[in-house]
Amino acid sequence: MTTISPAADSTNRSFLRRFFFTTDHKTIGQQYFFLSLAAVLVGAWLSLLMRIHLVWPKAAIPFLGEIKPENYLAQLTMHGTLMVFFVLSTVPQSGFGTFFLPLQLGASNMAFPRLTAAGFWTALTSFLVLMAAFFVPGGASGAGWTQYPPLSALAAAGPGQGLGTDLWLVSIGLFCLSSLMSAVGFLATTTRHRAPGMTWMRMPLTCWSWFVTSILILLAFGILLAAVILLMLDRHAGTSFFIPGGLLVSGKMIDHAGGSPLIWQHLFWFFGHPEVYIAILPAMGVTSHLLSVFARKPVFGYKAMVGATLAIGALGFMVWGHHMFVSGMNPYAGFAFSTLTTAIAVPSAIKTFNWVATLYRGKIRYATPLLFSAGFVSFFITGGLTGPILAQPALDVYLHDTYFVVAHFHLIMAMAGLFAIFSATYFWFPKMFGRMMNETLGKLHFWITLLGAYATFMPMHLLGIAGHPRRYSELTGVQYVAAMAPLQKFVTVAAVVTLAGQAIFLMNLFWSMRKGPEAEANPWECGTLEWTLASPPPAEGFGEREVEVNHGPYEYNIPGTEKDFVMQDSPAS
Amino acid sequence: MPIIGDRVEIERKPKLGGGGPGKIPHRRGYGGGDDGDHGNSGDFRSREQRMRRYRVGMTLCIISVTSIFVLLTMVYVFRMGKGRFDEDEHRWVRDWIPITLPYFQLWTNSLILLLSSATLELARRSMIKKEEFTAMGIVPPRLKRDLPWLGITVFLGFCFLAGQVLVWNILRAQGAFLASNPSRSLFYILTGTHAVHLVGGLVVLIYAVAGRLLATRLESQRIAVEVTGWYWHYLAFLWFGIFGLVHFAKG
Repeated sequence: MTTISPAADSTNRSFLRRFFFTTDHKTIGQQYFFLSLAAVLVGAWLSLLMRIHLVWPKAAIPFLGEIKPENYLAQLTMHGTLMVFFVLSTVPQSGFGTFFLPLQLGASNMAFPRLTAAGFWTALTSFLVLMAAFFVPGGASGAGWTQYPPLSALAAAGPGQGLGTDLWLVSIGLFCLSSLMSAVGFLATTTRHRAPGMTWMRMPLTCWSWFVTSILILLAFGILLAAVILLMLDRHAGTSFFIPGGLLVSGKMIDHAGGSPLIWQHLFWFFGHPEVYIAILPAMGVTSHLLSVFARKPVFGYKAMVGATLAIGALGFMVWGHHMFVSGMNPYAGFAFSTLTTAIAVPSAIKTFNWVATLYRGKIRYATPLLFSAGFVSFFITGGLTGPILAQPALDVYLHDTYFVVAHFHLIMAMAGLFAIFSATYFWFPKMFGRMMNETLGKLHFWITLLGAYATFMPMHLLGIAGHPRRYSELTGVQYVAAMAPLQKFVTVAAVVTLAGQAIFLMNLFWSMRKGPEAEANPWECGTLEWTLASPPPAEGFGEREVEVNHGPYEYNIPGTEKDFVMQDSPAS
Repeated sequence: MPIIGDRVEIERKPKLGGGGPGKIPHRRGYGGGDDGDHGNSGDFRSREQRMRRYRVGMTLCIISVTSIFVLLTMVYVFRMGKGRFDEDEHRWVRDWIPITLPYFQLWTNSLILLLSSATLELARRSMIKKEEFTAMGIVPPRLKRDLPWLGITVFLGFCFLAGQVLVWNILRAQGAFLASNPSRSLFYILTGTHAVHLVGGLVVLIYAVAGRLLATRLESQRIAVEVTGWYWHYLAFLWFGIFGLVHFAKG
């Protein structure tokens, strides 16, 4: 790979050099953004198919025909995988992080630019491998995004369990490598490339959350990589780590014996729970940042926010067992996991309180990014409140396999994460593409998405409490479930409307990219360092300029200052 | 080891006492004379910055690799205690069969790996010496011919890998294949994963050896050797961890 000096003129470079061999973190960040956009479109399309199938099981989809149960399971798996890995863990961290971490720290590039670039290309390869699973005989894997063995370990267990599952495992293995590469770059940049005067406690909260998330990635994704390799060996080398003996598959006794599917569950969730925070911590960072900017007030309790971020990161590694309450675990272990899980409510509550307190008595500017950030807080509360309920083993045993859990994680992880991604997009779009997005369309998009998302996921709580099981493609013969059909229909209609509303966002995005009004350097009057550069920033970043940080990141409405905000690199007063 | 180049370089710089112009808090790596160059200029301090950056990167890699081996150890211990349900006798039986290790070959490999760690340290020291002389513009005096320590390290690395292949061959001759028993599977996986990581280290060392042919800057070679040194010693440490695990926890 060729190294391009960051000062090279961007216009003079060929297409290959600008987009393929580039080590410019700004280009790589945009590439991640578009990768996630592709993933979210596929993922949303799959969810649409599933919702339609749940309500009208016999409906013929154009080009696809009727959805068979195995197709439904494959769609379920791929929807989860795409959304968790390629959207929620990719765009807030690798996308916006790669673009803005160096700029917010006052550095001109990432610490290891070529490693960062290699991370993106590995992620893209991983995405293409995953997509290839749709086109192989048997189709994509149907074992869920958690890939529990023995279903995922035996090729004979289902149509998608052959090549489709192999591709899934290869893809996620590559994704682990990609995330690790990216995280090493993030951590080295944060520790070594801060501008003079950018002390730890002057870092924007976005940088703090990217930093803590990178630590989580570093510790969690290695685990998943090793687990995936062990599962591959079980599938192809005849080992038995996860496959118990005495299984009959299609009337044939399998050769494996002595393994335990529980080992996989432990390994997977030891990765899987930190993964939840890998997805949500950057979203929290963005929200803290934006609420302060648009309330024109310093973040309430900056130090507490940093502490809460670290506490959530640390606790995130100790609670994986709460995904396994129904696996027959020792009640004492369940009690310990339950207590630790409930303990996460403390730092989460600190954050929520601080967000609300940041808004309190602020001179709020009701721009689209603020609305989406407020939406994040709203989803974080509604989705979060069901967390302590599910953290009780006694309640979880009843609710675990119902729509209640679907509602919980879609609100707190999917919708909250998505709203943070939207707010970050509307906020940073001028810096990334040099133009402003349309505010009217943005607000319309916000209201449709907010109401649509609540209409989609709130009824699922009721479905869950009434005992509607999740994961099944069709339950038409079951009497008590049939009674819930009108509510399911309502959910589907709400989902279709919400998804249709996203067309407004896409139109706004692509139209503004070409035709939007040109953005000035600091359209939101924000104090962090990326806004000291032109929009979009020049290829060389800060270049020869000597950045010197004299202020905290959130100095808004400080008495005795000329404007209502202080740039971080303004001279010290 | 006293760094001679350090003093020579710093004296050229204007001294800014008390942490620079008074606005910049004095911190390691930023205070003093070179604030704001972000490693763009080729002076000594930014080269040190570059080295530190790679050290941070290497530490992070080591943490990540450790997490993989901690996981494999956990699986090892967990799997050792598991078993299968015997349909005929209606009870759980442990299916873990202790492994017979080829100790002579394993100890030989350990010795080779330790030796390579030592030669890499010697290579690092001779490289620092050479760089200091180069920085001062002096052709190093050839009073004593330095052995090509780096080349020897690479050679020993390959010897270790060959030794590991020999171990696997001995086990296979015993009829212990990857799939025959979990104790075998995990032995192959642990040693195999270790070998894969060692190959990664070897690639960087070969890059440093070939540096003279590729006309890489001495500085890049030194960073490669220095940073891989940490990794290499860590892998030696890890090897003894694995060896200890399979020896003491035979089941």
